[in-house]
Amino acid sequence: MTDTQLLVSFFVLAVASVAAAIGVISFRNAVHSALSLILTLLFLALFYLQLGAMFIAVVQILIYAGAIMVLFLFVVTMLASESSDTELPDRIPWQRGVAAVLGLALVGALSYLLFTNTAIAPRTTGANSLSHMVGPQNHSIEAFGLALFHGFAFPFEVTSLLIVVAILGALVFGRKA
Amino acid sequence: MLPVDWYLIVSAILFTIGVIGVLIRRNPLIIFMSIELMLNAVNLSFVTFSHYLDSVDGQMFVFLVLTVAAAEVVVGLAIIVSIFRTRRDIDVDDMNILRG
Repeated sequence: MTDTQLLVSFFVLAVASVAAAIGVISFRNAVHSALSLILTLLFLALFYLQLGAMFIAVVQILIYAGAIMVLFLFVVTMLASESSDTELPDRIPWQRGVAAVLGLALVGALSYLLFTNTAIAPRTTGANSLSHMVGPQNHSIEAFGLALFHGFAFPFEVTSLLIVVAILGALVFGRKA
Repeated sequence: MLPVDWYLIVSAILFTIGVIGVLIRRNPLIIFMSIELMLNAVNLSFVTFSHYLDSVDGQMFVFLVLTVAAAEVVVGLAIIVSIFRTRRDIDVDDMNILRG
């Protein structure tokens, strides 16, 4: 891809993913929020492709946008008959304004840190500064697989234990009480 | 060629939207979706730094975060379903005691 194509695709993806993320928290209906979240996850997968992380992009679509969101939609539609689409009137009316102010403060602080490089500067001394350029680059899936089954073999195996515990937890909660 | 900062800014914005969602929404399912949004924002930072440092370690962390997120969703949704079984209302402001 040329620089212009990269730039245009980045801005399209950035605007689309932020818009879809705002949709997640602003739709009244939980099903619409879930669909909006699926859209956000797909845009993030495209970001991963742009950053050369092929395997992560595919796994993001399969596991996140596929399996996890199917579970979400299943639960949302299962509980939809018991709950109305609209939420009850807010009993803590000031929390919306406070949340907006705190959110703006958070994004301001994070952007300030990124632009002044104070948080990351000590780690990247020398020729590497944070304004290093992102360009087309190939992280082969082979390198990922080698790292997964050599350097990260133990965390990978511990993951299976975590999944077994999660399955048991879901079974315990799902039993008829 | 794009500066790395831009990806991190997008990640920060997505994370903040997730935080705001947790703060202002009172439907437990949508709060859960906002948590997923925050996890994904951090994943974007991981992949960006993995690209920037030219190392696959960041992608490995994303892979492990994905697994943890899947386990978390399973347990969390099971808890939400069992809460809905015992009480009809949907507002998290009502769920302020740790018993049924």
